Amino acid sequence: MINIDWNHLLQVALAAIVGGSTVVALFSLGIRLLVNAGAAKLNSASGSISEIRKEAANRAAAYVLFALSFGAIIFGVLLIIPGLIPAAA
Amino acid sequence: MDATVVVVLVVALALFFDFTNGFHDTANAMATPIATGALKPRTAVAIASIMNLVGAFLSTAVATMISVSMIKDASTLNPAIIFAGLTGAILWNLTTWFLGLPSSSSHALFGGLIGAVLASAGLDGVDFGKIIDKVLIPALFAPVIAGLAALLATRIAYAITRRVKEDDLSTGRGSFRYGQIFSSSLVALSHGTNDAQKTMGVITLALVAGGLQADGGHVELWVVIAASLAIAVGTYSGGWRIIKTMGKGLSEVKPAQGLAAEIATAATILASSKLGFALSTTQVASGSIIGSGLGRKGGTVRWSKAGQIVLGWVFTLPAAAAVGALSVLLVNLGSFGIIVDAIVTLAVIVAIFQIARRNAVTHKNVASEIEEASEAIVLLKRKKKSDSKGSKGRK
Repeated sequence: MINIDWNHLLQVALAAIVGGSTVVALFSLGIRLLVNAGAAKLNSASGSISEIRKEAANRAAAYVLFALSFGAIIFGVLLIIPGLIPAAA
Repeated sequence: MDATVVVVLVVALALFFDFTNGFHDTANAMATPIATGALKPRTAVAIASIMNLVGAFLSTAVATMISVSMIKDASTLNPAIIFAGLTGAILWNLTTWFLGLPSSSSHALFGGLIGAVLASAGLDGVDFGKIIDKVLIPALFAPVIAGLAALLATRIAYAITRRVKEDDLSTGRGSFRYGQIFSSSLVALSHGTNDAQKTMGVITLALVAGGLQADGGHVELWVVIAASLAIAVGTYSGGWRIIKTMGKGLSEVKPAQGLAAEIATAATILASSKLGFALSTTQVASGSIIGSGLGRKGGTVRWSKAGQIVLGWVFTLPAAAAVGALSVLLVNLGSFGIIVDAIVTLAVIVAIFQIARRNAVTHKNVASEIEEASEAIVLLKRKKKSDSKGSKGRK
């Protein structure tokens, strides 16, 4: 009897579309913030404290976003190992 | 011929198949980071090789799908049948590779096996429900899913990094190439989780058929180690071809687009491996490349080219099944048939490798099918908006 498990296919679609977009969005935001930090650095050449702060904040947030996107990937890989993460079994 | 001898032959051939799979697919993962300069060729190839090795250890869902679900009762089969199926797959795979026809190693393997089992055990030998559920439906949907995911991810990447002010100096999009170091490694890892499994499945099938293993529900550790090493060594050896083709016309894939496509490919393959879907990793990667091309401004599909690629995919399984069935007729003659089948396969392997070695390495015979897929996309820079929307709608 042919029994197609559409639910499994849906899971693949969700993992790819939602998971993939999330990772790419986090990484892209990180890049955006790094560019912002670069612009603030140029502006801070005049000695503006607010620009120096802006640079530091943008850069720190960018690294957090890079770490999050990397973490999301690691989590995704761990999900496929049987029994490692109970909810995924 | 003693069943154990045939099992040994199957193991050797299956590992060879695994090796060629890695050899063939290195470019899928590593062509873009090398092209964008994110990784040195040797480093890239070494990373791909290690990631394939690691990936092969992560799960055995795909292997047991082959050894338990697809073939109804392997213990009633003769190992010679598996041997025939495998030679059918290898013959079809190498011939299409030599002729430059689009094909899929995975589908050639399934086709060969299915054809061989059908020819010997009849319609009851294979579980068509499982084949449809775990091979055919994923074959149909996974490239489309990967394509949609890549399209969306590309749009997101470009939208987030767009220029806000006219005088913005940089969008930072070049930095995506550093992300590609991770995304391409992930593709290599996912490749190991799906493709190395197929070899493990076939070897397990042969062990059960030969009475050397009670059932196909688990994969022996030595099988996992052998299959993962074969694909890793194959991946490493395939590297020289990429190194040689650099600068020989790799089509233009921007770093942001490449990252989006690779993440979409890896996510699709990893989720499929988890659920025991045996995919053609090349088809998924091709779907992603087409999707990410569509995600770029003015991207539209050259349907004739895309149609050609899809036609090659559709043709692979039945054609390899026919070759597998023919091989069974041969091995049914007994030891003589098995020896003839082995000699024919070996002769074809040696002949094709000799000819391929003599031919110059060019863009055409080296580039992966992914390259073919990227040729199915054209960027229409000044196209009217309504037109590009039309092409999206068709997708």
